[in-house]
Amino acid sequence: MTTAAMTCTRLTIFTVAGILLQIIGLSIFVFGFFPVKPTLSGVSGSESYRDPFCDSSLISNESELHHPEKLRLLYQELSGISSKYDRLILMVIDGLPAEFVLGKDGKPPEKVLKESMPYTQSLLANGDAIGYHAKAAPPTVTMPRLKAMVSGAIGGFLDVAFNFNTQALLDDNILGQFFRIGWKMVMLGDETWLKLFPGLFMRHDGVSSFFVKDTVQVDRNVSRHLPDELNSDDWNLLILHYLGLDHVGHTGGRNSPLMPAKLKEMDDIVRTMHLRAMMDRSHDQGQTLLIIVSDHGMTENGNHGGSSYEETDSLMLFIGLNSNISDYASATNNVAFQVDLAPTLALLFGVPIPKNNVGVLVPGTLCSLRDFEQLRALELNSWQLLRLMLAQIQSSSFPRVSCNCFLDGTCEGLDLDISECSGDKEKQLICLFRNAAALHGIWKSKKSTESSSTMEDFSRALDAYNTFLKTASEWLASKTTEKPVLLLGLGVSAMLLSCFICGTVFLSLFKEVYHEPKDRVCSLSNLLNLEEVFIFALLLILVISMGSSSMVEEEHYIWHFMVSTFHLLLLFKTAKSFKISKGMNILRDFKFGSIFSLLISGRLLRGWHQGGVNWTYLPDISKWLVQGGSGYVKWIQLISIILVIGLGLYTLFRTGSNRKGVRILAFGFSTCGFLVLLHVGRYQDELSTGFGATVTVKVIYYLLSISSIGASLVLPWSALNKDKSFLAEVGDCLYLIGSAYILCWCLLQQLLQQPINSGPILLLLLQILAILCLSSSDFQVNEWVEITALYYMGMAGHFALGNSNTLATIDVAGAFIGISSHSTILSGILMFMITYASPMLFLLSLVMYIGANLRNHSNSTISTHRETSLGQILKLKLGFPCLVPLCINSILLTAYTVVLLLMRNHLFVWSVFSPKYLYVCATTLCTYIGVCIVAATVTYTFYVTTFLRSNRTRHNNS
Amino acid sequence: MKEAKEKKNPEISVSITISTWGAFAVYVITGLFLIFGFHVVRNKYSVDLISDPTLTLRLLWIIEFPIVVIIYSLFRRNPEKCSYFRAVGRSLVGLIAGALINALGAVSLGAPIGMQSLSKTIHWSFLMSVFTVVPATAVLGASWIDWHRIFASLKPIGIIEHMLLVPAYGAIIGGWFGAWPMPLDWERPWQEWPICVCYGAIGGYIGGQMVSLLTLLSEHKNLKLA
Repeated sequence: MTTAAMTCTRLTIFTVAGILLQIIGLSIFVFGFFPVKPTLSGVSGSESYRDPFCDSSLISNESELHHPEKLRLLYQELSGISSKYDRLILMVIDGLPAEFVLGKDGKPPEKVLKESMPYTQSLLANGDAIGYHAKAAPPTVTMPRLKAMVSGAIGGFLDVAFNFNTQALLDDNILGQFFRIGWKMVMLGDETWLKLFPGLFMRHDGVSSFFVKDTVQVDRNVSRHLPDELNSDDWNLLILHYLGLDHVGHTGGRNSPLMPAKLKEMDDIVRTMHLRAMMDRSHDQGQTLLIIVSDHGMTENGNHGGSSYEETDSLMLFIGLNSNISDYASATNNVAFQVDLAPTLALLFGVPIPKNNVGVLVPGTLCSLRDFEQLRALELNSWQLLRLMLAQIQSSSFPRVSCNCFLDGTCEGLDLDISECSGDKEKQLICLFRNAAALHGIWKSKKSTESSSTMEDFSRALDAYNTFLKTASEWLASKTTEKPVLLLGLGVSAMLLSCFICGTVFLSLFKEVYHEPKDRVCSLSNLLNLEEVFIFALLLILVISMGSSSMVEEEHYIWHFMVSTFHLLLLFKTAKSFKISKGMNILRDFKFGSIFSLLISGRLLRGWHQGGVNWTYLPDISKWLVQGGSGYVKWIQLISIILVIGLGLYTLFRTGSNRKGVRILAFGFSTCGFLVLLHVGRYQDELSTGFGATVTVKVIYYLLSISSIGASLVLPWSALNKDKSFLAEVGDCLYLIGSAYILCWCLLQQLLQQPINSGPILLLLLQILAILCLSSSDFQVNEWVEITALYYMGMAGHFALGNSNTLATIDVAGAFIGISSHSTILSGILMFMITYASPMLFLLSLVMYIGANLRNHSNSTISTHRETSLGQILKLKLGFPCLVPLCINSILLTAYTVVLLLMRNHLFVWSVFSPKYLYVCATTLCTYIGVCIVAATVTYTFYVTTFLRSNRTRHNNS
Repeated sequence: MKEAKEKKNPEISVSITISTWGAFAVYVITGLFLIFGFHVVRNKYSVDLISDPTLTLRLLWIIEFPIVVIIYSLFRRNPEKCSYFRAVGRSLVGLIAGALINALGAVSLGAPIGMQSLSKTIHWSFLMSVFTVVPATAVLGASWIDWHRIFASLKPIGIIEHMLLVPAYGAIIGGWFGAWPMPLDWERPWQEWPICVCYGAIGGYIGGQMVSLLTLLSEHKNLKLA
C-alpha cells in the first residue's frame, strides 16, 4: 500500500517520463531498423572499367577530364562496347500493370485491353519490341520506384515517409552519369523527377500529381509538347511521365470504364514516337531507343503501395532493340527486376554503372551486340557488383588476390579448376565469380588461336556470368537489411523500460482505486471477473498474433471477433443480473437495446469492407452498394449525414441544461452539417476540384475547429448552475465539450472520407452513444474495462473504415480536399485524420465518458469527502482514461518492436511487417494526441470550474 | 449451501434422478450416435464435412436430435404434470428457438451472410441447438428461473442440470475457438465456414462431457468421503 500515496503530480511526472522515454526509444529504433543511407558513397567513374582487384591509382588522369565529350570518349574506349544508340526516350506510365500489356502466365491480356493498344501489340507480335514483367520492390509508391529505376539500388523503406516531400537524389544514378557525359535531357510529366534531379534538365514541364481526380488534363499537359520535342534534334534523353493512368486507377480501379480509353491514348503516343522519332531517323548514324516502363502496378481497386503481385508487376518494354525475336510469346513472357533498368541503360549507352546498383543486365537486351561485347558487358556488371560486395564483406573473410589474376591464372591460394561452388555465401559468390572470370579468360585465349569450339566456351562463360550476377544480386538485395545492433538494443530496452513504467503507474492507480478499505470485502472472483479476464486475454492474443504474417495481414478479423465477443459477454452479464421478478423495467430494456445496437452495428461495420489481403475478393456491403449504382451510395451518405446531425442535436439537448452555450453550439454544429450536406450534394460528383468546393470546405474546416475549440474554451466559464454539486457541474460541462468534439469529428470525417465510408462513421457514433448509455445505466463493469473496450472498438472501427496493414489502403484522394495549393504538411495531416478517424473518435469520446461518469456518480463517491483536493479528484477521474490507452498502446508497440526485431530476416519483413510497424507508430502518435487532448480539456475544465466556484463563494461571503 | 437451495426448490425432488454412471451412459450414447452420424454420412452418402458441409450437418443433427430428445425427456421436470410427449414437443420448439439464437450469435461474431452460406449456417445452428438448447428444453421446459439459474448464474443443482450446463458451454466455447484458424492463409479447405467451427463445437461438446463426468466423479468421491 505504499504506492497508494502517489499524488497526482507524481503520477503525471511518471507517465510523462515514461512516454518521453518511449518516444526516444522508438526514434532510436526506427533510425536503426530502417536503412536510410546507401552503402557506397561517390560516383562511378572510369575505374569501373577496371578489375576491382587492380590498383585503382593507375587512373590518374581522370581529374583532367572535365570536358563531357572527352569523358564520353574515354568511357567508350575503356568499355570496349560500341554504342548503337545515341538517343533514349524513357516513357513512364504511372501505375500501369505489366499484365495489361503482356498478359499473365503466358496468356495474352484481356481482349478489351489488347484491343485498346493495337500498335504496341503489333510491335510485340512483329518482334520490334520486347517486354518484361519487371518486379518492383515494395513499397510500390512512385518516388522510391523512380529512385530504384535510375540508381539500381533498393531504397530504404522510409522513402515512403518522404514520398510527399521529395528531395534531390544525391546517390549515384544513371541520369547523373548521362549528365556527366554531356547529355541534354528533357523531362515532361510528373514533377517528382524535377525534385529528384533539380537542374539536370535542359527543358522541362512538370505536372503535379496533386489532383487525383483529374485523369485528362495531366496527360494533355505532357503530350502537348511532344510534337515539338520529336521534331527537335537537340536532346539525348526524353523522359515522359504520364500520371493519368494511375489517376484512373485511383478513382475507378482496374476495371474503370476510363481505362481502355487511357490505354488507347498511351498507345497513340507510342505510335507517334515510334514513327516519328525512330523510323525517320534510322538513316542517321545513331539510333533511338524507346523504353516504356511503369513504376508500379495497381490492385483491383486501383491502389498501390504493398507487395502483392498486382502491385509489383510493373512493365519494362524495349522498342527498337533489333533483337531477333519473332513470336509473340517470347516477346512477352520475360521476367526481370525493376532495378535491372539502371545497369542495362548504363551498358547500352556506354556510361559507368551506378555505384550502389544491385540490378543485373536484362538478358534479352544484348542480342544485337557481338560476342565479346556481350561478355564484356557482363564482366563490367560483375565488377560493379563485386565492388559493392567487397564494401560489405569483412576483408578477413576475403582472400587477397592480385590484379587480373583470374584471367592470367596466377592467383595465389586459389585453385583455378572450374568447380562446384559451396560453403558460405561469401565464399560461394567469390567462387562463382572466379569461375566466370576463368571461363571468360579461356574463351578469350581460345578465340585468338582457334575458332572451332568457341561457341561452346562462349555459352559456358555467359552462363557462369549470369549465375554469378543473379546470386550476387540476390545476396546484395538481402544485405540491405543489415542492422546496427547497438541502436536497436538501446531502442528496444528504452521502450521496454517505458512499458514497465506505464504498467507500474497503472497498477498503482489500480490498487488505489479498487483496494480501498470499503471495497475490501469483495473477493477475488469479484475482482477479476469474466470481462476483465477477457480483456487481458485479448491483449495477450493480440501480442501473440503479431508474430504471424498472415495474422498481421488479417488483423481486422481479430478485432472484430473480439469486440463482438466482448459485446456478447456484456449481454451475458446483463442477462445474469436480469431478474424476471422485477419485471421488464425500462432501464433493462435500455441496456438490452444498447447491447443489441452495439452487436448489430458491430456486425454491419465488420461487413462493410472486406479488408486484409487474402480475402478482399469476398463480397461485402461496400462492393454491393457500389455495384448497385452510385445512387445508393449517395443516399446512404445523405442519410448518414442527416442522422449524424440529428443524433448530435439530440445528444446536445439531452443534457437538459438550457444554456445559451448549448444553443450556440447546436447552431454552429447544424450550420456545419448543412454545409457538409451542400458540399456532398453539389460538388462531390464533379471530378475536378472547383473553386466553390474548396471555399465551402475551407469554411467547414474553420467552423468545425471554431465550434470544437470554442466549446472547450468557453463552456467551462459559462457554468452558472448554483444548486448543482461541483462534480455534477464539471460533468455537465465535460459531457457537452466531449459531445462537441466527437460530433465535429464525425462531421469532418463525413466530409473527408470516401462516400462509401459515411455509413460506418454513423455506426461508430452509434456505438459510442450506446456504450455511454450502458455505462451511465449503472452497469457493473469497471471503469478501466470500459475504457479498454472503447479503445478496442476504436481499433475495430479503424479496420471497418477499410484500412488494413498495407500501405495501399491509405486514402490519398481525400487528403487534398479543400487545399488549394500543394502543401505536404496540410495534406499529411488530412491523410492522418482520414486514416485514424475511428481511433481518434473513440479517444475523443473519453471526454464525454468522463463527463457522463462524473454526472452519474457525483453524489455517490467522492463528493462526500469535501476535503479531497483537486489533484486527488483529477487523479481518480482522469487517471484511467489517460493511462489505459497509453498502457495498451505501449504494450502493443513494445511487443511489436520485439516481433519486428525477431522477424528481421523473415521473407515478408518489408512487405508485411514493416508497413504494419509504420501503422503501429502512427497509432502511437494518434494515442498521444488523443490522450493529450483529453487530459488538457479535463484539467482545464476542472481548474476553471474551481476558480469560478471559489470566486462565487468569495462573492457570497463578502 | 447447496442443500439449502435444494430445499428451496421442491420440484427437484420430484424429477427422476440420475447417478454418475447414468450420466456416463447418456454421454456414451450421444457420443455413439454422433459417430454413427459421421459413419452414415461417409459410407452411405460418401461425403464428409469438407466436401458437402450442408448435407453432413443436416444428417448429423437429424440423427442426433431424436436420441437427445428421447434420452433427456426421460429426466424432465415434474414428470407427473408433464407427459413424455409434451417434453418431446417442447424440445421441438426448443430446437428451432435454439437454432435461431445460435445463428444470431454466429452472425454477430462474423459468420458470413449470403445465399451460398445460408443453408450451412442454418444446419450448423440446428446442430448447435441440439448440443445446447434442446436437452435443456426437454428437461426444464419454459421455466425461466431455472434457465436463468443454470445458464446465466452458472449454479446447477444436481447431476442432470450439470449435464445440461457443461457440455452446452463446452460446445459454445469449442465453436468459438474453432473459428480461430479461419482467417489464416493456410489455404486448407476446412478453414471455410462452418467446418472448423463445427469441429470445434463437437470437440468442445465432447470435452464438456468429459469435464462434467470428471467433476461429477470427484464430487461423488467427496460426498462418499464425507
